[in-house]
Amino acid sequence: MGMMVSAEVNLAATETAANAISDRFSSVGISASAQAHAAGHKRSYVAIECPPAHWLALAKWLRFDNGVNHCSMITGVHHPDGGDDKGWEVIVHLMRMPVSDQKPGKALVHVANKLSGDDVPLEYQVIITLPQTDAPVVPSVQSLWVGADWNEKETWDLVGINFEGHELMMRVLNPHDSPVGFHPLQKQHHLRYHNHNEMYDDAQGFMRLPVDSDRVK
Amino acid sequence: MGEAGKNYAVFNSRSLVEMVGDVTDEALKATRLKDFIGVLGGRFFNWAQRKSLFPLHLGIKCCAIEMGQTGGPRYDTERFGNGVFRSSPRQCDVLLVNGPISKKFADPLVRLWEQMPEPKWCIAMGECSISGGPYFQSYNILEGVDTLVPVDVYIPGCPPRPEALIDGFGKLREKIIRIGAEPSSERETDAPIIVGDD
Amino acid sequence: MAQMWITMGPQHPMTHGLWTLRVKVDGETIVDTEPELGYIHRGVEKICEARDFTQITPYCDRLCYVSAMTWAHSYIYAAENLLEAEVPERAEYIRLIAVELQRIASHLMWLGAYSPDIGNLTIFTWCLRDRELFIDLMQELGGARMHYNFPRVGGVKRDIPVGFAQRCRAKIALFLSRLPEYEMMLDESTIFLVRTQGVGLASAEDMVNSGVTGPNLRAAGVNYDVRWAHPYSVYDELDWTPSVEKPSSVKGADCYDRYRVRMEEMITACNMVLEALDKLPGGAETHYSPDDEMILAKAPTRAPEGARGFHHFEDCRGESMFYLEGGGEGRGKNPYRVSIRSPMFITIPFVAKTMIGYKIADIPAIMGSFDPCIGETDR
Repeated sequence: MGMMVSAEVNLAATETAANAISDRFSSVGISASAQAHAAGHKRSYVAIECPPAHWLALAKWLRFDNGVNHCSMITGVHHPDGGDDKGWEVIVHLMRMPVSDQKPGKALVHVANKLSGDDVPLEYQVIITLPQTDAPVVPSVQSLWVGADWNEKETWDLVGINFEGHELMMRVLNPHDSPVGFHPLQKQHHLRYHNHNEMYDDAQGFMRLPVDSDRVK
Repeated sequence: MGEAGKNYAVFNSRSLVEMVGDVTDEALKATRLKDFIGVLGGRFFNWAQRKSLFPLHLGIKCCAIEMGQTGGPRYDTERFGNGVFRSSPRQCDVLLVNGPISKKFADPLVRLWEQMPEPKWCIAMGECSISGGPYFQSYNILEGVDTLVPVDVYIPGCPPRPEALIDGFGKLREKIIRIGAEPSSERETDAPIIVGDD
Repeated sequence: MAQMWITMGPQHPMTHGLWTLRVKVDGETIVDTEPELGYIHRGVEKICEARDFTQITPYCDRLCYVSAMTWAHSYIYAAENLLEAEVPERAEYIRLIAVELQRIASHLMWLGAYSPDIGNLTIFTWCLRDRELFIDLMQELGGARMHYNFPRVGGVKRDIPVGFAQRCRAKIALFLSRLPEYEMMLDESTIFLVRTQGVGLASAEDMVNSGVTGPNLRAAGVNYDVRWAHPYSVYDELDWTPSVEKPSSVKGADCYDRYRVRMEEMITACNMVLEALDKLPGGAETHYSPDDEMILAKAPTRAPEGARGFHHFEDCRGESMFYLEGGGEGRGKNPYRVSIRSPMFITIPFVAKTMIGYKIADIPAIMGSFDPCIGETDR
């Protein structure tokens, strides 16, 4: 019927990639395995856990030796209650796409069921766990994937994780004059009306006044 | 008893124009024609202003797509007179706010409002510009555009249907009949018109 | 000649959204660019931490408002990965129909906004007229014109209405008969061809490294599509091929290629919808009630701490992804973290870089051809 990469090919390629990472890096504490999504076609992805000190080396190896050419997302999570070892997490999603430059007038038409070897698309999820700290730092992969650039800026802007070696770090979503150190996705910042349990206290909405109710316009 | 520097002995074109203007003014006042022309002109200008509203070409979020669809062939809003969107605020008289106002956009929005010449009106379209909408809890969204500019008509909906937008413009026209070209800073904003209230 | 910075935006008729593009020009040639986003940053990721999994779906509709269905589904697949929910096959087919209808409507909106930038205002009215056909169809499914809140964790909100299949087939037939008019209007217009060919060249490997995917990548000659690479839903049961365009230059694809890819995608999506209606389990004429197990399967509503789920989805503009972590407030009823990957957030800096070297008059052509939608960019 319609084309798709078959489950067996996907699993085999994922396991090959995960084993390659484990063989090379397991001595420094990087663990890689092929895990399956929980729903849908239940495809596999390479799940890697990496300490922050070795992230750059792993990233370089993935980029140049494994053909991981697409950085999908870099995001951060704040765990104030995660214990001493888990204070922050940086989660990187990468993909290996079988893409190469084409000559004018030529197109690379993959037939999905016939892909094999290094052409099989892969998903990677790298979890970098940082200890409890007020200044989380992770090496930047800006020089490896251009797509990581604005992802890292956004992660710093919203979550507050610093990326060492990142040039021109700036606020991309929050206004430029946001207070220094204001990273809204940290758990100590609450939403407006956080404690206002409207359904029980104010069912008809009389008490929720807009912030400018006393302003003269 | 003349003003310092003014030479009444000279009869040039400027003093001729002034004299003719003064004489005509007094004549019109005497025959009550001035009031007559004033009322007629005022009514005429009011009719012209409300039948040809020039909204600003501002598209913030989803309601802007509905604004676009309203200008499309099915709900053609141009036939009612509110379809000519101008990109420059200097040429507009309606600020149609169609999305949430973030802290970053508050200053540009006020600047756009101030660049629009009088008479001008503001329509808050959609929940986000009325009260913050689904993002009322957000750290970055203001609770309604009426924290920044005085709003004349509120159009609820998320997004409002094109018919609601056309009705909103209709309500604005009724309001223009009522208030004329009153400057926006002196309008009472505690009795706004809300589409769907009747 | 002195160089100067020109600010375009945030209120600008041509930027298709609220963002600022500062261009540094030397005469008329663009020397440097600096995009600035964040004018509608709503903090959706933070708000979603205080919402149930079902309550997040309307927020995802409003991320990219032009293609609301695809974003809601992108979130739902990730939520199902997190909550380990199964979806009945009929619901998957209905989701596919909804997503592909939305893809057509989104590309029509793109075309309707792009052609006026090039100078062709007729296509604007034509596209809005034809987009109404698809908005009506999706209104039958979801209940509203733009934000449908259609998928649920474990299925969809309700079954396709009675007579939907018949109306859908009629409208798609009408639309397919009108598409040659669009192509005639644009492909035979010298102005359109001169303004879009040879402009905005971007090569496939640059794009992939920069995170640009979707129709923009397929215009550069590689038929990569998440729908076959990491399959979800029932795309593997339909007979379809992703539309790919051969790049026109050794430096990559130009704006004309990106336009052609989207036109082909509309035809592909139409055929997919027709085929899905034929293959719908249970038949397209039977109507099941919303709580029937063919439409919605029972799904868990809480995600334990430590649970993670993510899903790559082929959105109209590229590859979107949601990453969800469980264990939030309400003993797991709310997610701990919702992280949204927007293809446009990554594409816009790439577009800004692509513009360097061209003239000011090429800015609308280049910017529009990548199909920016700022709602998803700013989240």
